[in-house]
Amino acid sequence: MVLHGGRIAASAAAASSNVLCTRTSFLGLSPANTNNFTSTSRCFSLSVPISKLSDGDGGEKGKRGGKIGAKKQNKEAKKEDVPSPKEAVDLVAEGSGSKQVSLSLDDVNPVGLGRRSRQIFDQVWKKFSGLGQLSTTSTDEDLLDSVLIRGPMCEFTIPEAQDTTVLVVGATSRIGRILVRKLMLRGYKVKALVRKADSEVIDMLPRSVNIVLGDVGEPSTLKTAIEGCNKIIYCATARSLITADLYRVDYRGVYNVTKAFQDYNNKLAQLRAGKSSKSKLLLAKFKSSKSLDGWEVRQGTYFQDVLAAKYDGGMDAKLEFIETGEAVFSGYVFTRGGYVELSKRLSLPLGSTLDRYDGLLLSIGGNGRSFIVILESGPLADTSQSKLYFARMSTKVGFCRVRIPFSSFRPVKPDDPPLDPFLVHTFTIRFEPRRQRPPEGPTGMTQDPRSFKLILEYIKALPTGRETDFILVSCTGSGIESSRKDQVLKAKKAGEDSLRRSGLGYTIIRPGPLQEEPGGQRALIFDQGNRISQGISCADVADICVKALHDSTARNKSFDVCYEYVAEEGNELYELVAHLPDKANNYLTPALAVLEKNT
Amino acid sequence: MASSLSSLPPQPTVTRPLHRCYSQFSTLPSWRMLISAQDLIFPYQPLICSSALPPGKFRLPLQVKCNAQTLVSSDISQGTPVRPTNVLVVGATGTLGRQIVRKALDEGYDVRCLVRPRPAPADFLRDWGAIVVNGDLSKPETIPATLVGVHTIIDCATGRPEEPIRKVDWEGKVALIQCAKAMGIQKYVFYSIHNCDKHPEVPLMEIKYCTEKFLQDSGLNHIIIRLCGFMQGLIGQYAVPILEEKSVWGTDAPTRIAYMDTQDIARLTLIAMRNEKVDRKLLTFAGPRAWTTQEVITLCERLAGQDANVTTVPVSVLKLTRQLTRLFQWTNDVADRLAFSEVLSSDIVFSAPMNDTYSLIGVDSKDIITLEKYLQDYFTNILKKLKDLKAQSKQTDIYF
Repeated sequence: MVLHGGRIAASAAAASSNVLCTRTSFLGLSPANTNNFTSTSRCFSLSVPISKLSDGDGGEKGKRGGKIGAKKQNKEAKKEDVPSPKEAVDLVAEGSGSKQVSLSLDDVNPVGLGRRSRQIFDQVWKKFSGLGQLSTTSTDEDLLDSVLIRGPMCEFTIPEAQDTTVLVVGATSRIGRILVRKLMLRGYKVKALVRKADSEVIDMLPRSVNIVLGDVGEPSTLKTAIEGCNKIIYCATARSLITADLYRVDYRGVYNVTKAFQDYNNKLAQLRAGKSSKSKLLLAKFKSSKSLDGWEVRQGTYFQDVLAAKYDGGMDAKLEFIETGEAVFSGYVFTRGGYVELSKRLSLPLGSTLDRYDGLLLSIGGNGRSFIVILESGPLADTSQSKLYFARMSTKVGFCRVRIPFSSFRPVKPDDPPLDPFLVHTFTIRFEPRRQRPPEGPTGMTQDPRSFKLILEYIKALPTGRETDFILVSCTGSGIESSRKDQVLKAKKAGEDSLRRSGLGYTIIRPGPLQEEPGGQRALIFDQGNRISQGISCADVADICVKALHDSTARNKSFDVCYEYVAEEGNELYELVAHLPDKANNYLTPALAVLEKNT
Repeated sequence: MASSLSSLPPQPTVTRPLHRCYSQFSTLPSWRMLISAQDLIFPYQPLICSSALPPGKFRLPLQVKCNAQTLVSSDISQGTPVRPTNVLVVGATGTLGRQIVRKALDEGYDVRCLVRPRPAPADFLRDWGAIVVNGDLSKPETIPATLVGVHTIIDCATGRPEEPIRKVDWEGKVALIQCAKAMGIQKYVFYSIHNCDKHPEVPLMEIKYCTEKFLQDSGLNHIIIRLCGFMQGLIGQYAVPILEEKSVWGTDAPTRIAYMDTQDIARLTLIAMRNEKVDRKLLTFAGPRAWTTQEVITLCERLAGQDANVTTVPVSVLKLTRQLTRLFQWTNDVADRLAFSEVLSSDIVFSAPMNDTYSLIGVDSKDIITLEKYLQDYFTNILKKLKDLKAQSKQTDIYF
């Protein structure tokens, strides 16, 4: 309508100047009028292109309309004819006087009235004729879009999707292509990492996907790609079975991407000054001699009988702060069944509890012994009710960081319930000479495995996450030609390990041989431990990836998945956990709930 | 394509019954020239199969002449096999079409969408990852290029309300089916209307029935799915006006329609499509229960918690209007729009028992959403949204 009005005004102006011109020429050319004439003629020459712009000869049409304008008042007036009588009316108004009147005339314009009454009649008629039909679709596209297509009425809608940006590495792979579409359907923001953005690649991906250039083999290219991403799905795989390719994509690729993602997370944590949900909680720091207060060294033995005393070779341990600025826990245990331990009651900062954390991170150095970490939990007031939980921790020669998830702690008494981090109050590191690996490294001299040295730097709690951060599509190895199978699996395994060590919440999916067929047709088996035999469709793998994004049971899990193996009657090997995927049931949660974490 | 199938759009100008189609197809459509340009030779012997319809209401006996049967496709066994995941959706921008595209994409199909070239293209299809190809059923020469590499055609196209009904729904479809046959398309899914064989006086239903016949005679491997009504249509027709406190128009017709969710239709279609037992069968998809207009309005009122301003128009008035408008040449258009009043007055039930269909394609009837549940979901969501909006506005009141 706005555009329409503009057009009419322009052509009317053209016409009015025309009228003025003729009038002045009738009056004769007085000097004053010459001026007038030139100005109007300029106006005329200016207005011609405008009326031309408005698709055709508006001025002429207006004149023609003027003759029949009076007659054209019935509401059956055809739409394309409507402008011309209106112009005519405007023209008449122009001729009789000023422009202001013509605008207010719009209200009593008989054509406008006719149009309005026609609109009303149309609405009524639409409803009336709508009755004569079985059902009508809503013509209101916005309504359909907001509620039925993108809104809550759509089976694909996931509430979290809007705020989640997913980086898909390997978006052009068989799984990746389907995965990107699935993510787009659910309203995620998707970034696709591709090596080359040629037209073939761009055509393959949905248009609103954010395509970023980068190569997983080149860490420097990944930084910009990862910026702004919440989750990463890695379904790239080497194009060939050449060892260098496998190493580059399946191992170093995963390593580089996890590293870049962690760097980005750390950057975010720094920006938010330790208040980010991704920052760690400091439990103990060993930077000064003062910081050793509260730690006590104890010794003990597992055997209480007399026989042990006979073999008592003695033991000793001490914690000291040496000149180089390091806290060293060192000593020896010669007694059979003896141990020494370093223990402290934890004092957490106000307002933080360990249940919001996922595990412990120790930054330590030493001579590569293995230790046992013991957590004591129970009510603080009554230590007699405390329960003990232990986890073994091996170190390397030199400095290293060790992560111990709370879930890997086992109760000392098998009957006790699993560890509840909320109740933990005491932390202990124990050394015992049993089960020590022979010292590694190029040392020619034999070290006595019964002596140890542990340099402590800090102990932190790792923040928990409910969801997985990084989904890696690996493979089971079945379906690969046997001569190359070992190399492929070696590279994939190395990639998986680097992801597990990265500290990100991870999900590793190892599908059986991929088949290109529609998904959602057959039951799936989720398993751990290389027992699967069947293939799986790419679409199903993509579906698992999408479901795992917001599933807390998928965090820190690795599992194999394939189609159900159809056994003969009475020979079934598996218990059916969930049916075929559909909108009503989420098959992933029950299937994964029974599987082990951190494998 | 603008609209969907069973949500029958206002009828465009078909003033004559379909016996005209005969003359249309004895003269060769232009696409044949295109095929022969590709050095394919088709022995063309017009074979006549007249559909024997029960004589009765029509003004002229209906005869449909099909010649698709005689088209022998070139030997398609050679060459690269087409992947079964490649589907072409015709009418992808419609209410049903877009649900099918989405569901198919989600299940891992590579979806190609045939849409008409237009200044504002269907962006949402491309955003979802479908491939959009331009073509127009009313211009048969644009069809063959779009069918290359396609395994299955899902046809849910219907002409726009404002264009002549025969152009897309008959001529376009015939061209598409013939072309599909010639190019060796391996499956053709066609959506029709329930009871279309019983109401030849309604132009769209008659055309759908003729297309069914044509498809069956063409020798293509096909599935015909007859639909009753879409729940999505009810939202715009009743739910929104009731919430906005506008007047709702209803009839006192006793016709019952078993509405179905288009998402369910899309899901069932894809399941049926993969099932070889369904090939060359005619299925009817109907919702769990058939509803009259009055019942739907009552349900909406209950769920919205407010009374509707209902204007009830007796069917007899509709019928009378139709009779009147048929008297004049210039109101024939109007008469066609009201054609369904004939259907409405015959207290027919648009529903079908679904048990056989469910067991055939292996679907649990519990998974099919009911109208009560559907509308309840809609109203809870909308009312919640309105509440949120109100809460937001209250918050701003505090700040300003």
